[in-house]
Amino acid sequence: MADIVNVGMNLDAFSQAINAIQALRSSVTRVFDSLKDGMKNKETLEVREKGFISEFQDNLQAVNRDVNELERLSTLVGRPSESHPLHNSGLLSLDPVQDKTPLYSQLLQAYKWSNKLQFHAGLASSLLNQQSLKRSANQMGASAKRRPKVQPSTLVLPPQYVDDVISRIGRMFPEMTIELFRPNGTSAVLLVTLGKVLKAIVVMRSLFIDRTIVRGFHEDVYSEDGKLDIWSKSNYQVFQKVTDHATTALLHYQLPQMPDVVVRSFMTWLRSYIKLFQTPCQRCGKFLQEGLPPTWRDFRTLEAFHDTCRQ
Amino acid sequence: MSRCRDGIRTVLRRALKVPWRFNRRWWVRRTCVCSVCQVPVLEGKSVQQTVDMLHRQLEQLGAMKQGSFWVDCETYHTTGTASGQPSKLLYVMHNSEAPLSCTALFEGGPCLMADGNFDVLMVKLKSHFQNAKGHKVESRGARYRYCDFLVKLGTVTMNSSARGISVEVEYCACVVPGDCWNLIKEFIQSFLGPNVPELPSVFATKAEGLFVPADAVDTMTQYLELFGKVRKQQVLQGASVR
Ligand SMILES: [Zn+2]
Repeated sequence: MADIVNVGMNLDAFSQAINAIQALRSSVTRVFDSLKDGMKNKETLEVREKGFISEFQDNLQAVNRDVNELERLSTLVGRPSESHPLHNSGLLSLDPVQDKTPLYSQLLQAYKWSNKLQFHAGLASSLLNQQSLKRSANQMGASAKRRPKVQPSTLVLPPQYVDDVISRIGRMFPEMTIELFRPNGTSAVLLVTLGKVLKAIVVMRSLFIDRTIVRGFHEDVYSEDGKLDIWSKSNYQVFQKVTDHATTALLHYQLPQMPDVVVRSFMTWLRSYIKLFQTPCQRCGKFLQEGLPPTWRDFRTLEAFHDTCRQ
Repeated sequence: MSRCRDGIRTVLRRALKVPWRFNRRWWVRRTCVCSVCQVPVLEGKSVQQTVDMLHRQLEQLGAMKQGSFWVDCETYHTTGTASGQPSKLLYVMHNSEAPLSCTALFEGGPCLMADGNFDVLMVKLKSHFQNAKGHKVESRGARYRYCDFLVKLGTVTMNSSARGISVEVEYCACVVPGDCWNLIKEFIQSFLGPNVPELPSVFATKAEGLFVPADAVDTMTQYLELFGKVRKQQVLQGASVR
């Protein structure tokens, strides 16, 4: 910044120097003009030669004077600093018509933003490294201290926002219908029906999934008093197993800063059960192992495995 | 949405005076996927010996015995068809899974689920339907549970002599027959060996056999087909002996 101010103070010298350059150019032009025109038409050859020589000398002296003047001014202007933070682009600030070409201010703004971006990216990457997708991985250390700070803000999301996120996820998966209930206050309970395969009850706190239970498509999800039954387990071993795996998935998909991404990842994973009875195990190639179909779905690839085949 | 559904249910329950539990069980029963097939009797072995061997195989697999079952079928001829139409057959079947009901299947025609006293009605209708005595076929045996599978291993008897073996496999966790056929097939293979039946025709004709009250009828249709096969075998065997 100091350099820019300095340059501004010398602006007068600059304009004088520019004038001096113009004067030098015109005097040099005059020299060549007179040389080109040659001797003027005078009565005697002697007078002609004299006149030509004196004119030529005058012109050269004018050039000499202008050069001296320019040299004097150039010491006033001084050398542009090479340690300018924006290097030569800093010279853009010398343009006097700011209003027409606000290049320099725009450049500074862009520079500031890219600095900020880098700073925040650095912060984010250090956070993300600590809080990977696994909840179990950040049980200890600095991230554990940070988590309570983050959670309260995401726990008080407005119900409307939760509704929006859920309905957006519902639209992503046509074979999945998601019904949203609020039986006790603001916390949502989702009833997810996946094709004709299964029904899952997902209990939420704000956008965090608290608990999930999976039952068969034809099993009752309502208790005898007509309320959503979020407690009793499925009568079928397959769905008891799937419930266990879904609970594991809840622990796996964790990203406290982005709870909506977690819900979406979980639903994407749950959707892979659409072919629960139709997909053979990716390891042993069989449908049944101890009477159960492949109930495990890999968290990344969503491939089907038997519980015993997944290592 | 849910309130509306509950409303309808409550109204239905009150109107029918059906206890909730019963209602729920009925709901579950109707929607299983089930396959019935005939097991060939092992060469040089009697029906009973083959059945015993299958029992052992199931128990080795880890299946738990859970009571017994029976399915029977009586045959009736239509009579008094004045216009010279060929006489048609009517089958009346019972299943221990639904002891208060009775299934009536018209040959190549409609079928119905009725209360148990449909049998009494048939007696009253004897001027139109005549009981073909000696045509009663039944299958009796043990019920096994293995995970979510229900297996019923029965001895098919005609005129109180053992003629064949029936295996009914139900996969209770799935409601779409086409979806879990491979799974059922693999399970049957695990105790029957490689001679596994083809996809039952009732599966093939309707991939979405869901919530259709005909599901219980599907099982009976499969038993009827099996009884028909056993009867035909007996006729062939009888012919070859002669
Ligand atoms: Zn496997």
